[in-house]
Amino acid sequence: MNGNLFLKEIRRNFFSLILWIIIITLFISVTMSIYRTFLENQSKIVGMLSIVPAGLLQFKGISNFNDLLSALGFYAVNNIIYMMVLGSIYSIVLSSNILLKEEYDKTAEYLLTRPVTRSEVFLSKLTVVSVNVLLLNLVTMLAGFICIEIFKTGSFSIKAFFILSLYTLLLNILFGSIGLFLSVIVKRARPITTFCIGIVLIMYFIYTLSKITDSVAKIGYLSPFKYVNTNVLDPAYNISPGNLLYFTGITLMLTIISYRLYLRKDIYT
Amino acid sequence: MQNPVIDITDLSKFYGKSRGIEHVNLEIGEGEIFGFIGPNGAGKSTTIRILMNLIFPTGGSARILGMDVIRQTKEIKQKVGYIPSDANAYSSMDVNEFLEYSRRFYQLPDSNNSIIELAGLFDLDLKRKIADLSMGNRKKVSIVQSLIHKPGLLIMDEPTTGLDPLMQSVFFELLRSENQKGMTIFFSSHILSEVQMLCKRVAIIKEGKIIQIEDIDNLRKKQLKKVFIEFGEDIDFALFKISGTKNLNAGPENVLSFLYSGSVNELVSYLWGKKINNLIIEEPSLDEIFMHYYQI
Repeated sequence: MNGNLFLKEIRRNFFSLILWIIIITLFISVTMSIYRTFLENQSKIVGMLSIVPAGLLQFKGISNFNDLLSALGFYAVNNIIYMMVLGSIYSIVLSSNILLKEEYDKTAEYLLTRPVTRSEVFLSKLTVVSVNVLLLNLVTMLAGFICIEIFKTGSFSIKAFFILSLYTLLLNILFGSIGLFLSVIVKRARPITTFCIGIVLIMYFIYTLSKITDSVAKIGYLSPFKYVNTNVLDPAYNISPGNLLYFTGITLMLTIISYRLYLRKDIYT
Repeated sequence: MQNPVIDITDLSKFYGKSRGIEHVNLEIGEGEIFGFIGPNGAGKSTTIRILMNLIFPTGGSARILGMDVIRQTKEIKQKVGYIPSDANAYSSMDVNEFLEYSRRFYQLPDSNNSIIELAGLFDLDLKRKIADLSMGNRKKVSIVQSLIHKPGLLIMDEPTTGLDPLMQSVFFELLRSENQKGMTIFFSSHILSEVQMLCKRVAIIKEGKIIQIEDIDNLRKKQLKKVFIEFGEDIDFALFKISGTKNLNAGPENVLSFLYSGSVNELVSYLWGKKINNLIIEEPSLDEIFMHYYQI
């Protein structure tokens, strides 16, 4: 790894990280602040939700109304949108740009003619992505924890909270590795941000679609969201070895392939 | 040649089926100023980009200072300065920030004042944002960053693009001075005059192949001119016979153009007494030189 490059990239991406942390924290705080009001009006809401098709509730991540009555359950339902979807968008956009931006900004020629190896460039940039994604997850997780502590009406499983946070982190990192992979296989250097955001949204859509309709339930397995267990109120809630293997396996495989391809990539500016 | 600074052996690069360079062989000795000339698309940049490990060859090998350009690229770049044809830098930085960032790659001490010295020489405002710089000023930044670590070898791809004549002269003077201190210089150009001003030897590349490696003095002896004459009277061009002319082209309105490798004095003597409205003698394009000397 090259310290000079690492520090420059950390500085370059700092403002964007802070902005994303603020946005996600704000969403979580606002949503959790509704929790108490939600509890006070639960009879009215139950009435309202009874006329909503079950599929639509599934789309919102509500499989059981009782899940919403606990602070952690309420957090888990909303966490899917804010921390998992937005966090994954942040992660894929950052990772897809970290190497490719040098190419379409035409600074790759400068960078790769410094006394650094391709390997050092790749590892420095990979470390920047990892540090940023980790920081985003840590801060937003802390914000979520504080929100639950403030608004909870009873006790909640801290272990379940951390497992859910670990799933979020694994999902974000997996999308990061997808972004990195796409950036090294793209032939003509150009921004692929919109395409990457599209991938996260399509994956989320496939996942929710598979939950709504039984006939297409199997296509859900194409989406990484499917492998995130959000049943935080299940007493046996834990991270399954299969899911852990899925996330770490795909992430490692894509990162190693990206690394190998980048080492031999022709750079044109 | 013993211990060449740059040693290129049978180097080829194909982009799919299209040719980049084919079987290029070249040796450049220590302390040389070596020009690499050829028309656009001939393969100059491809060769240089392989030397700088930006692209990978499909065949052959290249060594700089005895080290392999792929496997020992980091060690090579500690000792080599590089000026690309397009001078690009991080637009969010100011000039000083960018040059300091460049300096840190070489782990030079803070007391190293080469940035201030070089920026002064090129009249560079260190506080200006890169984004606000003109193409010429970006080129100056690129020149400064290539020299801050005092490299033993300087590789340049079309280095004068964007530089005004005054700065070109400052730059050439600096190159001569660094060369006298021992720096080897290898640069590509499609402008024959700048190569003639600096180099001792040149390689001419056309359609991906080196067609000639020559001492600049030999090339100068073959000095070729492109001549346009507009006569003020009717001339029978069939009778226009003077040795050293080639590609005679008679246009409308008594205009004659041709390539001329003879003495200018002889040409002027020949034209003496004829009514001439306009006479232009200029440097031909490299393509025309190739057509004249290297009929391939």
